[in-house]
Amino acid sequence: MDPESVRLYPRQVVVVAAHYLLSLVLVALTTGILYVLRSSINPAVVALLYLLPVGLITSLWGLGPGILAALAAFLAFNYFFIEPYYTLFVHQPQDILALFVFLGIAVLINQLLGRTRRSLEQATSREQEAIRLYELSTMLAGLNNEQAIVQILAARSLEAFQADRIIVFLEARPGKEAIQVNYPEKDGLPDYKADLLVPMQTARGLLGEIRLWRKARPFAPTEDRLLRTFASQGALAIERAQLAQAETRARVLEESDRLKSSLLSSVSHELRTPLATIKAGVSSLRTGEMDWDSGSRSELLSAIEEETDHLNQLVSNLLNMSRIEAGALKPERNWNVLAEIVLGVVNRISKRSSSHEIRTEVSEDLPLVPVDYIQMEQVFTNLISNSIKYSPDNTPIQILAWPSQSQEILVQVKNQGPPVPESDLERIFEKFHRITAADRITGAGLGLSICKGIIEAHGGRIWAENLPDGFAFNFSLPLIWEGASPRIELHE
Amino acid sequence: MSSNPHVLVIDDEPQILRALRTILTAKHFRVSVASRGEEGLALAAAESPDVIILDLSMPDMDGVEVCSRLREWTQVPIVVLSVRDSERDKVMALDAGADDYLTKPFGIEELLARIRVALRHSTQTMGSKKAVVTAGSLIIDLVQHIVTRDEVEVKLTATEFKLLAYLAANAGRVLTHRAILAAVWDPADVDRVEYLRVYIRQLRKKLENDPEHPRFILNEPGIGYRFIVEE
Repeated sequence: MDPESVRLYPRQVVVVAAHYLLSLVLVALTTGILYVLRSSINPAVVALLYLLPVGLITSLWGLGPGILAALAAFLAFNYFFIEPYYTLFVHQPQDILALFVFLGIAVLINQLLGRTRRSLEQATSREQEAIRLYELSTMLAGLNNEQAIVQILAARSLEAFQADRIIVFLEARPGKEAIQVNYPEKDGLPDYKADLLVPMQTARGLLGEIRLWRKARPFAPTEDRLLRTFASQGALAIERAQLAQAETRARVLEESDRLKSSLLSSVSHELRTPLATIKAGVSSLRTGEMDWDSGSRSELLSAIEEETDHLNQLVSNLLNMSRIEAGALKPERNWNVLAEIVLGVVNRISKRSSSHEIRTEVSEDLPLVPVDYIQMEQVFTNLISNSIKYSPDNTPIQILAWPSQSQEILVQVKNQGPPVPESDLERIFEKFHRITAADRITGAGLGLSICKGIIEAHGGRIWAENLPDGFAFNFSLPLIWEGASPRIELHE
Repeated sequence: MSSNPHVLVIDDEPQILRALRTILTAKHFRVSVASRGEEGLALAAAESPDVIILDLSMPDMDGVEVCSRLREWTQVPIVVLSVRDSERDKVMALDAGADDYLTKPFGIEELLARIRVALRHSTQTMGSKKAVVTAGSLIIDLVQHIVTRDEVEVKLTATEFKLLAYLAANAGRVLTHRAILAAVWDPADVDRVEYLRVYIRQLRKKLENDPEHPRFILNEPGIGYRFIVEE
């Protein structure tokens, strides 16, 4: 072989050729050693010793080199150790037997080794399968998101089968769109048929399928089986996720049912109170039997009007509550002057109720705030109404606002009401939570939870605190909206 | 009495129609009512009312659509009725040509005030525009660009005057943020409410006795502003 042609041979052929060559070298080496010892060893023992290289070669390099070694060993044995020496003439038929023994040993050892090697390979690949399955099921455990399950299934299968490409497809169900995950994420799908396709099936029906493409080698039956196991693992995980989702939905429904019934009982009481006043007022005015003097007449009428406003506010609180519940409360933000909002609310409330003096210390020169005007009006209305309800008559209510260092504005509504137990400071923002007995103070217990809903929808926080001289609601509002402050030059 | 103003009420609530018909008749208006959008459009064409009161939420036709259909052929003043929390609808109706709005539930004085403004404005658009607007102690000369308060001239920047002039020329009417921004700034700036906030604040500081309790330039929460002339 000239060096040029060697380079053309694939590496594997060179290795095999080397094995054959080495077999011959090993037999020659054995022959050399035995030849030196020829005078002191019986030919039968020599034949026995030749089994060593034959066995060794077969076990190291396989049947081919083994047979070559057996032949070479027989020839060498015959030539050097059987009389007449240095001829290949076999004059006793029993010497031929050595050849068959050598060949037989080579074949036998090869068989034995092959079987061991195959069962080792099987054991290794079963172990691999088990590891992969274990990894897959660990990764899928606890996942309740179908998209994530499909993604993990696709990624693990692609890796486990060393495939070029995989598509995991989950069929659409009522209320859910179909999911398709496609690795590696290149543009376009292959236009030829998948090399391996298995369905994802559960007892309740077909969920989807896994498709694999691999150019390098065809899929073995064991791989088909493994992919089916993968598919059923995935299908189980998806089914479990669907069940968990159904359970969560059921729990949410139950919870919202419970809320609705407590809302109804609380609200129907609240709605009937002003209605009773209105009905009583109107029916008294209608009966011709009594002759109302103008003073009591206007007293009745203003009671009716106040209760109508009260009803109206109750209804808008209910509406906002249901929006917050449904996650549909989306502030329609605009840059606003906080002082304008506060003063508007304060003017309106002062007209209705004069039991408390409301002092606003909100500067017109504060930065503009990105808020929903109507929703912020609702926040201030509810906080001030709450302060009026819970603080003694003829005490002041203060509204303060100042910018904080972290691009926020802080607002405080302060009253001289009694302190709230520390453990209740957070709970007062929950629905229907009321600290005092329901009969004494009117209201559906919705006002503060609506404030919380609105402030949080604006990206702010709301909290309550006891002060040395009273009680305060605090909230923060971000001054940055869509990553910006208002672009404007204040003075021309 | 045929000289009495004629009001057309379009609302799908029979109770509202009943109440408004009774009250407005008692206040010496001639009243027609329609309970559906199409019917209202037909009546508007047949009877040429002086004012239309239009509910925004009707089952057969969106109130905003009724507005724009009316504006295709008539400039009759339109006052829209709608519930709170639907500021977007009100703004859409106003931008579609409505003149004013009222939030349900409303007091009857408010409704009458809106009808009065609408009637006055419609006679105004027929006649010539006012050159001078007087609001309390404020005198705004739209032609000479002079503003005096208690007979002392108030220095306004060009933009401030443009804004005040636009508000004053439409005194009594509600003006949406978008309408003001488009008229005073540029149609490209209709979403920059922050300009408006800042300039209104400056105008109030220069014109109002108590800028925190404005008398002339009023907020219409979530909608826009209204310039008030009467005391």
